[in-house]
Amino acid sequence: MKSMKTAALCLGFICFFLGNAIGQSATSEVPQTGEVPQTGSAAASQNTQPAPDVKPATKPDTETEEHHHRLHVRLGTIGVGAGHSRFSGPFYSPFWYGFYPYSLSYSPFFYDPFFYSPSYAPGYFGGFAYDVDKGEVKLSGAPKTAEVFLDGAYAGTAGELKNMWLDPGAYDLSVSTPGAMPFHQRIYVLSGKSLKIATKLPQPQSQSEFQPKPQPTTTEEKP
Amino acid sequence: MKLRICIAIALMCVLPLSAETPRGTVPRATADRYPAHATQSGTAIGVTLLTPDQVHNAFASDVNRCCLVVEIALYPAKDSTVGVSLNDFVLRVTGTDVAAKPSGAKVLAAKLQKKAVSPHDRDITISPTTNTGYESGGYDPVTGQRRSGGVYSSAGVGVGVGGSGPSPASSDVDRNTMELELGEKSLPEGAASAPVAGYLYFSLPKTKDKKVTHQLEYMVNGNKVVLTLP
Repeated sequence: MKSMKTAALCLGFICFFLGNAIGQSATSEVPQTGEVPQTGSAAASQNTQPAPDVKPATKPDTETEEHHHRLHVRLGTIGVGAGHSRFSGPFYSPFWYGFYPYSLSYSPFFYDPFFYSPSYAPGYFGGFAYDVDKGEVKLSGAPKTAEVFLDGAYAGTAGELKNMWLDPGAYDLSVSTPGAMPFHQRIYVLSGKSLKIATKLPQPQSQSEFQPKPQPTTTEEKP
Repeated sequence: MKLRICIAIALMCVLPLSAETPRGTVPRATADRYPAHATQSGTAIGVTLLTPDQVHNAFASDVNRCCLVVEIALYPAKDSTVGVSLNDFVLRVTGTDVAAKPSGAKVLAAKLQKKAVSPHDRDITISPTTNTGYESGGYDPVTGQRRSGGVYSSAGVGVGVGGSGPSPASSDVDRNTMELELGEKSLPEGAASAPVAGYLYFSLPKTKDKKVTHQLEYMVNGNKVVLTLP
């Protein structure tokens, strides 16, 4: 990854220097265009002042030769850019039939008991991206690896879903992580508004405390 | 792995239950835990008036714009039921005749729905640009005249005109969501044999005078209970 970025930067600098060289060679041709009046073009003949190359004969020819090779440097817009793109491709697991997660079929050779949700939350594939008619939900307080469920469907990890934009409506939000009691809360998303959810995943005292308790109130903020 | 299995099983048991969305809020342990409380005919009642900050944190909808919110908990006597009806509650400004009955979620959602932005409203973005450079000199490529170098500059203005986005909470879906939220968090009506709690919304004019207090009147089994809210 680092080497590719370095290569992209080097490529950018090479382009920059090549562009300068080409620019110089282009501007060095400017005096040659000045030779056009020498051939008696209409543009030069209409000019009331004598063209620089149509000089009195008192000027030595060596000076004229010198003008032909003078570089004309013009400072203009200089852009230097470097880019880097990488396509990793869909992840393929030999234990799955098809490309994960585009295939929902289970393999008989692989079974994850934690992966129990039969479906994905709306927006899982398209991403919980911003849209003008959506509302924002900000998750905080949960470990990055905690799994987030919306209406019982898997939505992603808490690390990926710190900010997610959802269509207006009511959702049942659940956040769970191994070794902690799951967090459950009903949230109400309104378009153009931001909802801050502070998840609390307390450690259970015993296995019997794995029954989630209802949260009394929501912690919400609006911009 | 066993732990993960336990979590998965617990979630599988809980998630179907969560589909049945409970109404109201979780009542406190006893009525005494509320700032104002009383007992009438064996039924205990606890009441608190939410501050604007509490309302702001408890609701996604901007309920502060329309009304006062009162949290009420009812604790029926053992082995008895109590009929809960919104018509049994009245909130009165102490010492005045100004009073109101609780408003329904549908009416409040209609009040809270903001007006949509007119399609004629436009966002105009102005982007000024300036460029400054230096030219060393040489021959004009068109006229062939020699010209001296110098600093050149240019300026311009870009104007972008576009439609503005919709205002927050202005769509019909938002209105339905607000109605759903207010309805689900309101005090559940009907016969209750166990403690119930929830919010009541009163459309009363707000006052910044801290001396103004409110009284909640509750009719239980034909008897009137008056609670002064701090």
